[in-house]
Amino acid sequence: MTDDDRVFRALADPTRRHLLDRLFARDGRTLTELESELEMTRFGVMKHLRLLEDAGLVVTQRSGREKLHYLNPVPIRLIHDRWIDKYTEHRVSALAELKSELEETA
Amino acid sequence: MSTTTAQAIQIYQVFIRATPEAIWEAITKPEFTEKYFYGARIENTPQGHRALGPDGSVWGDSPTFEFDPPRRLVHGWQSLYDSDLAEEEPSRVSWEIEPQDGGYCKLTVTHDQLEGSPKTAESVSGAGWMMVLSGLKTLLETGQPLAD
Repeated sequence: MTDDDRVFRALADPTRRHLLDRLFARDGRTLTELESELEMTRFGVMKHLRLLEDAGLVVTQRSGREKLHYLNPVPIRLIHDRWIDKYTEHRVSALAELKSELEETA
Repeated sequence: MSTTTAQAIQIYQVFIRATPEAIWEAITKPEFTEKYFYGARIENTPQGHRALGPDGSVWGDSPTFEFDPPRRLVHGWQSLYDSDLAEEEPSRVSWEIEPQDGGYCKLTVTHDQLEGSPKTAESVSGAGWMMVLSGLKTLLETGQPLAD
């Protein structure tokens, strides 16, 4: 499985997207904090966080006895560069060509 | 992270297909940084962290706290490129390079001690560090800077 596959798989689940949104609003949270906002067992939330961590979307850091979860947006940026830029660039240049063609004939 | 409450600790991580030595060069030498760090020429030495903007103005001038090639670099941060941000308290940036399987390294950038510099925290979150790290990865893996 490539890095991209892991990121797409991690993002393909509403609970995991919700966890990312929670961390986007404020990160550096513990499992207990994240769990309290979800109707799910501690084990279930742990499993989702594990997948997000494997995809590189969540980075953890120990602080004393606690494990804090941070959002790492870089893999999403890389997906953007690889998949979004490529297609929108084409569309933008097609429009630019259309514009110059229309303006030339006008 | 680019909400109204940007974090006092920010962590960014990227996997790069390159040796620790190549990554170390790319983050400490100005001829590399100008290709991915908003055009800034940044020099990191045991003596200090110094950054010049493309127009030659001073963008950063901070102490180096740890210099352990090719594994770990910790230096101070003050956003001198913007007068509003320059007035804020200094913060700290740590670069950690960890070799992985398959010719990859894990690069972790932690920007912390941002409690006294909320505007800087806001400015480096969101696209800030992300653009730097995706540009660095592209440069090291393809030899080309990221297209604008």
